[in-house]
Amino acid sequence: MSVSRVLLVCWAALAALSLCTVLLGRAEGTRLLTIAILLVAVGKAWLIADGFMEMRHAPRLWRRLMLSWAVILATVVGLTLVVFR
Amino acid sequence: MPGDLAMWFFILAELSVFAILILAFAVTQALKPQMFSDSRLLLDTSTGLAMTLSLLTGGLFAALAQEQVRRSRPRRGAVYLLAALLAASVYVLLKLTEYHHLLGSGLGMEHNTFFTLYWILTGFHFLHVLLGMVILGWLADRCRRGLYNADNRSGFESGVLYWHMVDLIWVVLFPLVYVLG
Repeated sequence: MSVSRVLLVCWAALAALSLCTVLLGRAEGTRLLTIAILLVAVGKAWLIADGFMEMRHAPRLWRRLMLSWAVILATVVGLTLVVFR
Repeated sequence: MPGDLAMWFFILAELSVFAILILAFAVTQALKPQMFSDSRLLLDTSTGLAMTLSLLTGGLFAALAQEQVRRSRPRRGAVYLLAALLAASVYVLLKLTEYHHLLGSGLGMEHNTFFTLYWILTGFHFLHVLLGMVILGWLADRCRRGLYNADNRSGFESGVLYWHMVDLIWVVLFPLVYVLG
């Protein structure tokens, strides 16, 4: 697949996931939905890091640092929303 | 990795700052869940989605511009960067409209804790978007003058990386501020 096509696929996936976020948010709030919305956010962050920022070709340490940013935030935000409620 | 190593350290520093702000928002939300739920209803999720799509489209065009520079076609890259700027301008317009509407409704920074954090988080991100647009404009001008090519592109890639960082932060901010809870 050409680079341009990879970028277009990334963008289409990001747009679709963004729409998913809004649709999930409009449903009645449950713990499962909260987790789903956070997982979608992590997926989008990974698509940007690996697709647009090309971390898929980066040294392992840098890639892990970039990918873990969204995971750590989503985990902590999820804990505050799910556990402390 | 694309770009300068210094830019990657800068990005890590920026992500750390935003992480602290995001965690402050999340912890405060846990302490005042009802206030955050009620206040969030005053924000328009559809506008948030439109802002998200405009930022992501800007990111796509910036990445396509980078691909053109790698093929030593800087002038075509400049056209893509202008498209990225156009997409980013839609975000700026939407955000300013939202800010104007909120201020007109008396929902400024001092209204409650949710809006204090809303203005700090989104305002700080908005400033990053504006700086990103200045950088993209500067890169477009240099591309137009043919100053970047396949052998000289590190500075260009660093500028484009900054824009992607702005996108990366927003995709976490958007559900937190507009959707969750």
